[in-house]
Amino acid sequence: MLRTRRGLFDVLAGRSSTAGAAAMFAARGHEAYVAELQAQGRTAGPPLPPGVNEIRISSNENPLGPGQKVLDSIVRKFPEAGRYPFNSSPADSQLLAAIAAHHQVKPENVVLGAGSQEILKSAVRAFTSPDRALVTALPTFENPTSTAKGLGHPVKEVPLDSAFRLDVDGMIAAAPGAGLVFFNNPNNPTATVHGAKTVTDFVQRVRKEAPDVAILIDEAYHEYVTDPSYQTAVPLALETPNVLVARTFSKAYGMAGMRIGYAIARSETIKQLARYKMPYNISVFGVAAALAALGDPAHIEAEQKRNTEVLRFTQKVLEDLDFKCTASQGNFLFVDLKRPAQDFRDACAKHGVMVGRDFPPFEKTHSRISIGTMQEMKKAAEVFRTVLKPPTTSGR
Amino acid sequence: MALTRRNFVQTVGLGTAGALTASFIGSRGRENFIWSALEPTLHAVDPGMIVISSNENPMGPGAKVIAAIQSAFGADGGRPGRYSGGARDLIDALAKKHGVKPENIVLGCGSTQILRSVTHVFTAKDKPLVATIPTYEECADYATLMGNQVVGVPLDSEFKPDLDRLADASQGAGLVFYCNPSNPSSTFAGARATRDFIAKLNSQSPGTTILVDEAYFHYVTDPDHETFIPMAVQNPRVIVARTFSKAYGMAGLRIGYAVGHAETIKQLASWDAGSGTSSLNVLAMAGAIAAVEQDDAFITTERARNAAVREFSMKWFNDRGMKPTDSQANFMFVNIGRPVREFRDACRKKNVVVARDFPPFEKTHCRIAFGTMDEMQKAVKVFGEVLGKSAAAAA
Repeated sequence: MLRTRRGLFDVLAGRSSTAGAAAMFAARGHEAYVAELQAQGRTAGPPLPPGVNEIRISSNENPLGPGQKVLDSIVRKFPEAGRYPFNSSPADSQLLAAIAAHHQVKPENVVLGAGSQEILKSAVRAFTSPDRALVTALPTFENPTSTAKGLGHPVKEVPLDSAFRLDVDGMIAAAPGAGLVFFNNPNNPTATVHGAKTVTDFVQRVRKEAPDVAILIDEAYHEYVTDPSYQTAVPLALETPNVLVARTFSKAYGMAGMRIGYAIARSETIKQLARYKMPYNISVFGVAAALAALGDPAHIEAEQKRNTEVLRFTQKVLEDLDFKCTASQGNFLFVDLKRPAQDFRDACAKHGVMVGRDFPPFEKTHSRISIGTMQEMKKAAEVFRTVLKPPTTSGR
Repeated sequence: MALTRRNFVQTVGLGTAGALTASFIGSRGRENFIWSALEPTLHAVDPGMIVISSNENPMGPGAKVIAAIQSAFGADGGRPGRYSGGARDLIDALAKKHGVKPENIVLGCGSTQILRSVTHVFTAKDKPLVATIPTYEECADYATLMGNQVVGVPLDSEFKPDLDRLADASQGAGLVFYCNPSNPSSTFAGARATRDFIAKLNSQSPGTTILVDEAYFHYVTDPDHETFIPMAVQNPRVIVARTFSKAYGMAGLRIGYAVGHAETIKQLASWDAGSGTSSLNVLAMAGAIAAVEQDDAFITTERARNAAVREFSMKWFNDRGMKPTDSQANFMFVNIGRPVREFRDACRKKNVVVARDFPPFEKTHCRIAFGTMDEMQKAVKVFGEVLGKSAAAAA
């Protein structure tokens, strides 16, 4: 696979060696990490010593990226880089139709987003107001929270339950009078999931207590879930007004850099969301890549298996060190390291291992660790063992 | 963009134009937004067509940009799987190019996102949007969505913006959308006239912001021509929008940006910077950096190429008594003396795709983008066949 890809890009680039690209990739990877830190108002440590490769397990990405079919599809779009997505072949309308077919719904049940983040933003813009709050969890994916706060709309953050799951009862209690409930399932950063029955009950109770409130169920990590009690809420969204499901190509599909997500709901609910859609929000590369990805389900199955295996390995490493993880159903672990996340993060960064940022209110105890490749996680495990080892009390 | 937009523009057109009330647009504009979600289904173009409907650069972005995109995949093709932190690199490259500071720039998913953000931040219930009729509709669409008033000012008899009327209509407005060269009319207001207009507006209505959309900037050949970026970084009431979708040949990659005073940019960024960054794909940003850093010859060559095709295409119509407006862009607005829809449908049957209706001129004027010279030579043959004997005879 690697060889094939290299061959492909060598041919395209008219070069016989990938050394330059490899160096550039490594360099840009670190820059990206630094930029990420800066965006959070922090600075990165000194550059890595020579010979130490960065392992980026901070952003819940698929470390392998997209499959070969996706890469090929993007390259084939180079001649159409100058065309608007609606003028390209395939056009963005074909992606919309393919996503609809994938879920056995109609195109009017789907709206595309530049990543599911655009979907989340649009939902906050469409359904909250100065009088109608966003109900969300703490901690959870914070895009809706920051969007609502930026608009000056009230936010009710409901703490998680004792198992680090979304507090269903607490969120229902907060719903009356609100505009939107954000329900991240599995929940980022805690990786916990609620089963189908709980989600259905939750939706029905919110509908009963607060029929005007929209519910956005973010299933970004859907493809990684192995818990048999879990099911997608897409059918629920199709039969229930004001319920939306968000999905993304950024996680298991390995296309975070391509910015493609979507929402599924009843057509009248989709229309409300679509008012805020940016026109032509998916690039011609994104359109082709997502279409190719939908046509390659085997790649997703393999990715789920791969992730589960590496997740179990990593969890065991941490548990053997006596640290407890939440019940992960994502491509990341939320682990009680009994120390500030910043200390752990900084210590790992010195070894080239980049783990997740602070997640208040658990920043003094818990860290989020994304699942890289097995090779990466074996190396990361050595670093974890080193930095997590109990302080020696004996003198030299 | 859309049948939806066509519907919307029909409402904006009003035949007589003039001021539009929010309620008027509201009643029909809604359909527009509802349809917007579904608009792509109405618009796919078959391969093999000559597509001169969307003011794209038919040559694409050039070898250096494509090479940069190839490199951006990473050695093992894994890079598209990673979130991008590369926005700052692109902002730095643009800042260097324009001689401004990074805090003077915010990125968007095409300039479309910039237009939306500016409209969001600078219009309100009591702060209308002012724009010419017709113009590019993004700002009007969004203001309408927000329930904010849109005031339309007709073009003058040469299809240029009527700057005195525009200034008068802008008293107390929140935002003036000033697309120069103008879309769809392709006409251009000179640098001196624009400077005077802005000075007048700043003095008459100091609370009004002016968004100068320079999407077609690189195609202008009129010597009375300059960018308003230097003014924008000094003047908090002026913002310049730019895009990679036109001369840079990257419409498919969805990158645009705004340049302005640091405080203005901060206001825009606080509304939508998150998505300004997170909307942009990693391959596109790598391409955009290469586009900015490449030799100016790329743009110079593209401007000259377009100017030659423009001269050829405008002459063809002029020779047949069909007058185009004075184009300073990569498209023209030409009086074909018949409903555009009939012309468009007939051309499409012959594999040539021209633009949608632009009310209030949909009964007479067609917007035609400039493809390659080869494409236009083929296209005018089709135009000749479609427009009938008289047109063909002069050939």
